Amino acid sequence: MKENKKDVGSASGTPPKQHNKFVQYFINLGARIRGWFVDKWTAIKDFFVGIKTYKQRKLEAELVTNDGPQLTKGEKFRRGLKSQSGWLFVAPALILMLVFTFWPILAAFINAFKQNYNSLSDTYQGIGFENFVRVIKGDTGTGGASFNQCLVNTLLFTLISVPLSTLLALLISVALNSIKAVQKAYQTILFLPYLTNSLAMGAVFATFFTIIGTEKNIETVGLVNNVLGWFGLAPVEWIKASSPVWTLGSIKIPWAKYIVVIVYEVWSGLPFKILILFSALQSINKQYYDAAKVDGASRWTTLWRITAPMIMPQISYLLVTGIMGGMKQYTAIVGIFGEQMGTNYDMGTVVGYIYRYVDNGQYGYAFAGSILLFLIIMVITWINNKITKKHTTYR
Amino acid sequence: MRISIQHLTKIFPSRNKGGAAVHAVEDMCIEIPSGKLVGLLGPSGCGKSTTLFMLSGLESPTSGKIIFDDQDVTTLAAEKRGIGLVFQNYALYPHMTVQENIRFPLDNMRIKKEEGNARALDAARLVQIEDLMARKPSELSGGQQQRVAIARALVKMPNVLLLDEPLSNLDARLRLQTREEIKRIQRETGITTVFVTHDQEEAMSICDIMVVMKLGVVQQIGAPQEIYDDPNNLFVANFLGTPPINIFKGKIEGGKVYVGGEVVSATEYEDQEVYVGIRPEGYIYDPDGVLTLKVDHIEVMGRDKSVVATHESSTKPTVRCIIDSDVVLPPDAAELKFNIKPYKLFLFNAETEERLR
Ligand SMILES: Nc1ncnc2c1ncn2[C@@H]1O[C@H](COP(=O)(O)OP(=O)(O)O)[C@@H](O)[C@H]1O
Ligand SMILES: [Mg+2]
Repeated sequence: MKENKKDVGSASGTPPKQHNKFVQYFINLGARIRGWFVDKWTAIKDFFVGIKTYKQRKLEAELVTNDGPQLTKGEKFRRGLKSQSGWLFVAPALILMLVFTFWPILAAFINAFKQNYNSLSDTYQGIGFENFVRVIKGDTGTGGASFNQCLVNTLLFTLISVPLSTLLALLISVALNSIKAVQKAYQTILFLPYLTNSLAMGAVFATFFTIIGTEKNIETVGLVNNVLGWFGLAPVEWIKASSPVWTLGSIKIPWAKYIVVIVYEVWSGLPFKILILFSALQSINKQYYDAAKVDGASRWTTLWRITAPMIMPQISYLLVTGIMGGMKQYTAIVGIFGEQMGTNYDMGTVVGYIYRYVDNGQYGYAFAGSILLFLIIMVITWINNKITKKHTTYR
Repeated sequence: MRISIQHLTKIFPSRNKGGAAVHAVEDMCIEIPSGKLVGLLGPSGCGKSTTLFMLSGLESPTSGKIIFDDQDVTTLAAEKRGIGLVFQNYALYPHMTVQENIRFPLDNMRIKKEEGNARALDAARLVQIEDLMARKPSELSGGQQQRVAIARALVKMPNVLLLDEPLSNLDARLRLQTREEIKRIQRETGITTVFVTHDQEEAMSICDIMVVMKLGVVQQIGAPQEIYDDPNNLFVANFLGTPPINIFKGKIEGGKVYVGGEVVSATEYEDQEVYVGIRPEGYIYDPDGVLTLKVDHIEVMGRDKSVVATHESSTKPTVRCIIDSDVVLPPDAAELKFNIKPYKLFLFNAETEERLR
């Protein structure tokens, strides 16, 4: 580094030409500035070259140990820093994650066990499972949402819509893969919902299903009821409080509303799934299909026994991420059924439940709910992994 | 099953606009008697695989007919033709075990599981892989995979077995062994078999009938020895035989065949420029011989020896003569003279490269 500086200095000074003081000042200044940059540049280059290869780092480490006594403290520190500089790169992300991810998780865990937690005074009455017991028993005060109802809703939405949309996406991708003409146009159309905001989509969906007008003077029964009408079916109240409900003990299944949600979830989940599966299909060697044809496999057999197993890694990825996403569903249901998530949270989801109690200031229930959600997702993911791993061959 | 290929043509349209269409197979006519092993032989890209895929029904011909026994199968779907096909890269289903792979065609015929398993085992025994039934293809060597592919093709007892370069992915020793195996299996089953290869030695050694192709056009059909001894044109003569035939530029003048300044043979053909092809085993050492070669070196192989020589009219850098090991050659001779066995010498028109007949 020092040599470099000297080089620069002497380079500008070599021609022994005398200028007047004014000019000379600027020449010197220029050389100094250049020298400064060159110096920094070499330092930066040194730094990157230094961390570039493991080998080099090891060599340097050896240097440190070999002639350790001769090195100054500063030099030792500098070299030590260099050999550990990988940390420098992850540090910003690590700090952000600690602050915004790990700390909240930890805080939620701790606060979930604080009984009767008051956020204003930051006081609580003892540590225990009371929040969890109350959440599960539904003993969270009047006008609240039922955790069990929300959990059943979430599970049913997810476990019906995710496999269904994955299956549909598979069928559509296979069909798309077999047509050659205007494939690009179809791809674009199928991908559009992915680019649309889910609240907006929810609102549009709601209009497809909503009956507008009073009971005696119906203005329109909505798109879906109109279509049902062509087949001679009576209009169904899809969205509003008067929507039909099955009751199973304390759990309500408003099946008409369920259909709306599931149709929505399937539809909005399709584009991404098609994107993934379609590209997976294109990577399958055509020869397997030729072989299957010679072996007399029908289209159906080919799909289930050749195509599906070959893209099993992608399918299982979609199932896992789909279920994880589905368990966290919230926005679309608010978009369709409003902030109350139906009538008194009869269409609520677990995340909706959590928001409800965050909003209310009853943080204990919200924390307990989110811990429960966390555990449930973990269990489902574990089961899912167990199942799909068995059916996945890595080529 | 008898196979009759009549004026079969396949033209692939060009992929990009304005490009030339590919004539992969042109006006192919072959009659294959039942139970024969037929080799389609030709350099890479000459349309062998395309022919095979048309026979299997995976490609539809541009024109022409394919007839199995008396049935026209030209437009029949692949699965209805009763053929077994072994792909060049085997195309074993990677997620199925060997047993599932072999049984797959039977599953599609809705054959019961026990019977399917029994038949799969029979097929596996035929190719000697019955111990590997539980493995996945990725756990098999190339040779084993190839056997699985053959078993899968044989298990449904096809009328015709089609093999696309089945040995090209094997190492040299395994190739030799497996080609005997294929011959044995073909004999045992009696299935009419069409076998594609670019390796002339392979084709020569196991085929009953050999079809030599070049750029989609059939050059010659016949028994391997027949074609070797009586090639139709320069390409066929050149393609068959290891070491390959020696070719000299020459001419016919007044009933004599000249190579360089020497008369190597008499002929009744009229005067013209010719290529003179001489098989390496067609030379007889004779101090008063008709053809003089400059000796480069001599390779002794035990059974015989080869004289590697040069000649200014040769179209290849070296001329190779194989002679008996008990023939005594003068040591350190710079030049040797040879007589030529007349039936090992072929004349081709220099322009058309067709054999003078
Ligand atoms: N699907 C296809 N589309 C266009 N051209 C093809 C196609 N398949 C093969 N060809 C061309 O046809 C010719 C013959 O190919 P192929 O039958 O595979 O040769 P071989 O098996 O003898 O090596 C080649 O020139 C190849 O490029
Ligand atoms: Mg080929």
